Amino acid sequence: MTEILVVDDSKVMREMIVACLRVEEDFAFTHAASGLEAIEKLALKPFDLVVLDLNMPDIGGFEVIEFIRGQDQLQSLPILVVTTRGDEGSRARALGAGASQFMTKPFAPDAILANVRSMLRRDAAGSDE
Amino acid sequence: MSSAFDASEFLAGYLVEAEEHLSASTTNLLAVEASLRKGENNPRAVRELFRSLHTIKGLSAMVGVEPIVDIAHAMETVLRLADRAAGALTAPAVDALLSGLRAIGERVRALSAKAPVMPAPPQLLDALAALEIARSPEAPTRELELEPELLAKLSPAEKAQIVQGAEAGRRALRVDFTPSPARAAEGINITTVRERINAMAEIVKVLPLSMPASDAAPGGLTFALLILTDAADEQLAGAAATTPAQIRELQTRRTALAAPLAEEPPTAEEDLGETEGRKRGIVRVDVARLDDALERLSALVITRFRLERAVDALAAQGVNVGELGDIVKGYGRQVRDLRGAIMRARMVPVSELLDRVPLIVRGLSRATNKPVRVEIDAGQAELDKAVAERIFPAIVHLIRNAVDHAIEPPAERKRLGKPEEGLVRVTCFERSTTQLELCITDDGRGIDREAAARRAGRPVPEDDAALLDLITLPGLTTLDQATKTSGRGLGMDIVKRAAVDQLGGALSLRTKRGAGTTFTLLVPLTITIVDAFSFVCGEQTFVAPVAAIEEIVDVVPGGLVRGPSRHTRFGEVQFMERRGEIVPLVSLSSVFSLASRGDPKALVVRRNGTPFAFAIHRVVGQQEVVIRPLEDPLVKVTGVSGSTDLGDGRPTLVLDLVALSSAISHNRAEVSL
Repeated sequence: MTEILVVDDSKVMREMIVACLRVEEDFAFTHAASGLEAIEKLALKPFDLVVLDLNMPDIGGFEVIEFIRGQDQLQSLPILVVTTRGDEGSRARALGAGASQFMTKPFAPDAILANVRSMLRRDAAGSDE
Repeated sequence: MSSAFDASEFLAGYLVEAEEHLSASTTNLLAVEASLRKGENNPRAVRELFRSLHTIKGLSAMVGVEPIVDIAHAMETVLRLADRAAGALTAPAVDALLSGLRAIGERVRALSAKAPVMPAPPQLLDALAALEIARSPEAPTRELELEPELLAKLSPAEKAQIVQGAEAGRRALRVDFTPSPARAAEGINITTVRERINAMAEIVKVLPLSMPASDAAPGGLTFALLILTDAADEQLAGAAATTPAQIRELQTRRTALAAPLAEEPPTAEEDLGETEGRKRGIVRVDVARLDDALERLSALVITRFRLERAVDALAAQGVNVGELGDIVKGYGRQVRDLRGAIMRARMVPVSELLDRVPLIVRGLSRATNKPVRVEIDAGQAELDKAVAERIFPAIVHLIRNAVDHAIEPPAERKRLGKPEEGLVRVTCFERSTTQLELCITDDGRGIDREAAARRAGRPVPEDDAALLDLITLPGLTTLDQATKTSGRGLGMDIVKRAAVDQLGGALSLRTKRGAGTTFTLLVPLTITIVDAFSFVCGEQTFVAPVAAIEEIVDVVPGGLVRGPSRHTRFGEVQFMERRGEIVPLVSLSSVFSLASRGDPKALVVRRNGTPFAFAIHRVVGQQEVVIRPLEDPLVKVTGVSGSTDLGDGRPTLVLDLVALSSAISHNRAEVSL
């Protein structure tokens, strides 16, 4: 199974993301409703990919990315940022902090699926090398 | 299309979340306004507002509601600037943001009703864009001392929040929580810990810290919660599954730039004196601690009863209890003084409770297009925090009713020769040492008795008391059409439930067609420990709060008035003459099916302004009692508000005679003669 962590404080948004990705039968989803919850889950269990919102209570997506990239074992974990912040500054900051891909809401269902597939392929290729 | 995604599937969830965020945003904006009135910023509320609007914007974009995206985006821009200025917002900005919330709310409701969603109002977007966000914050006079790697992760607003909290006398602490798979299996995770800490502290920031994995931290992770609190270390440690030794105090120190350069820096003593001076007079105490103190006091009150009984028993055996009796009396006085001191510490000014009323009236006034002036006179009255929290929703409901139902539209008022601007007055005063009277008055159209009766399918009420009984029937609404602000099936029964059923208070009504309505709420200043009369009825002892009893009178057989005999399921209703007034009289023995030994005394209560008497056998005395609520629905009975311990180890029922008289009156109306 490919374990995907979906992080967004909006339950409806998490469900929308899962609805876009669930066509892949071997995807398993874990929800996190905050950045803190995401970090805790990442510390306790391995994941293959993270779909991450930026705007969350207590600790935002930028801080989650910085934390992930600060951990040796999570250096290559693919992170797809899906955010309402469509500005260039946010994109640059997220990618600069270590996000693998950046998408804005509203997103097209096919686009998010294609992004996730390509990130997982790239990751698999990287780990084969 | 390969995915199973269909945005319309998520509409119901979207509507729920949007309403939740709107409600939270309104609360946060009101908090911003309350802070503004005190001349303070509220960076936390601004951040929360920003977050809610950002989420609304993202969700609205996903379900394709562009007008809401536009409004939320314009509001978000204002809030982002305010956040950068440490939460500084101006009164015009609060106004414009309130309009924005209202505009989003209208569109969410339109979507919910499957009605067309109006575009974003250009004047609103212009007003939001034209706002000037106030000055940058003043430099704090103190700065936070923290490890550099933690300090670097805090924003200036968060640092200021900690420093200001510490200066206001709260404890600034770092509490660590270390997650593990075992703890997660027990349901202890950062989310539950955060919720538990949040119940006893203001969380400023939670920082994840990585560390080498070990047995103590198998995930190689600890969360440092930076908080402001008045709670004890033991409580916090329990909430964070750690030990008190792991809790660290955050230190602040005076900044080098704080003192003007031309002046001498204050000496250590002056510095201390200034800080102490600022703190003097106010100590913020967690309500849980006050509840704990009250609980311990309750035990002392019961011990006093037991001591008194033991002394009485010794005296009955012929023992000379002179000195012991004096000691017990002195102890009783000390307990009473302690009760006064603890109760005073629990009191909050009613003026603080009513702080939000002008904003509520303003919002209602705009929503209904009726100009309404609000007058508030709370005087110096104070109320137990627990009572204040329970009664406030009832006050809000009465205000909504006044603006929405009672006050006429301006054109109608003009035609009637009234000022176009309606008036809502909220006044209160302490009617006695145990009761507060709160009046909500409007100068509107008054309640139409015939219309209310028609709507309820009942006979037209003969007076205001009967009218109040009618309009507090569960589920009744007196307005024919649901409106934007009320009329959603929530009726006056909510007010009655809060004031009468939950608090053992009273609600009365005075209304005049064309001139207006006044609702009067009589609520106890405190709950839990009250002064009560104990009395015997049949073979059983009961107590009833002194505040509810107007008078204790002798029942003189010759003073009973013969009239139509009325029987209810509570027994026979007789009539008693009291100072030229006819008062219904029911024997409590028959109400509770107890063997009567003759009931020569009567307790007179007043309900909706009219008296009602309960015959009893004997009054035992007046004393403080600790009321324990009856939680089990099986033992919840109308007229019984709780139980108490009078020191004999047996539970004694606390009666709510006002509620009981109300139940009997309703019953009387239903039985045939």
